[in-house]
Amino acid sequence: MSAPNSSERKACWDSRDLLWKCLDDNGDRAESCLKFQGEFESNCPAQWVKYFSKRRDYLQYKAKMETEGFKPAEGPKQPS
Amino acid sequence: MLGLRCIVGDVVCGGLLRRTCLRLPPLPQRCFLSEGGSGSSARLKLRTRLLVSLLFGGSLLAGWRFVYLEKQQRQRQIRLDQLRKVSLGQGTFSLLDQTGRRRTKRDFLGRWVLLYFGFTHCPDICPEELDKLSSAVTALDQDPLLPPVQPLFITVDPQRDDVPALARYVQDFHPRLLALTGTPEEVQHAGRDYRVYASAGPKDDDGDYIVDHTVLIYLVSPDGLFLDYYNRSKSEEKIVESVKNHIRNHKGLDQ
Repeated sequence: MSAPNSSERKACWDSRDLLWKCLDDNGDRAESCLKFQGEFESNCPAQWVKYFSKRRDYLQYKAKMETEGFKPAEGPKQPS
Repeated sequence: MLGLRCIVGDVVCGGLLRRTCLRLPPLPQRCFLSEGGSGSSARLKLRTRLLVSLLFGGSLLAGWRFVYLEKQQRQRQIRLDQLRKVSLGQGTFSLLDQTGRRRTKRDFLGRWVLLYFGFTHCPDICPEELDKLSSAVTALDQDPLLPPVQPLFITVDPQRDDVPALARYVQDFHPRLLALTGTPEEVQHAGRDYRVYASAGPKDDDGDYIVDHTVLIYLVSPDGLFLDYYNRSKSEEKIVESVKNHIRNHKGLDQ
């Protein structure tokens, strides 16, 4: 299985961008974007689908940190 | 300066401290002498005073500039020594390029090299970095005064990136881009030389996997010395500017 060439990469990236735009417009509801999800999965190798899904989660987390700030997890309750 | 003291002395002497002034004879006496003298001798004294001050100030400036330049040179030398101690890229590598020709580290001596480690199955980072690298080299090519920079790609995935795979991959980037591969041992040796981290991820049903690796573009000088590195956040313009500076300063050090 050879690596995707330049046009295959671009096709994958474009379908990923369409999917992500759909998710952004629909509040991340996967059910509304099933068509784009299908396109994305057919245009990209399985490893890339996994990679880009994780990347989206990371980017959203990062945006949340930048806007809402970081809330450290609550430690064990100290005895008063 | 003497003039100022004379004025101050006069004011002070003219005031209530007359008795104290008398106890310090030399200063007021000298002032009276210059005051009492003709106007031309006072002007002469002023001119010589000015000349002395200018010479003094000028030599101060020259001395300061000399020390400053010495310091710059010393700092450059310290940085170079530090890089030599870190000794990235000091070793030798022996790999195959995308035409199957064997290339060693020695082949690249005498040339400026921009080096990137990656793999052809990379989803987005490697193509983007190689695009950036290609644009930077193209921009540097525009300057006829600069020596041509050699773009170089070394794979971190020798299992899949054989010579035909590399030949397919380089077509999308700069025409001078050389891509290198070899046996896992040869590739590991080259990666270790630049302290490149590479770790293949879990394989999926297709046998596909992603290799996690250091994402850096390395600048190597014509004497094979690692000089600088550029990460994802460095834009093409910043890289071009930095490489130009290194080329200019590198020539300077040899003089």
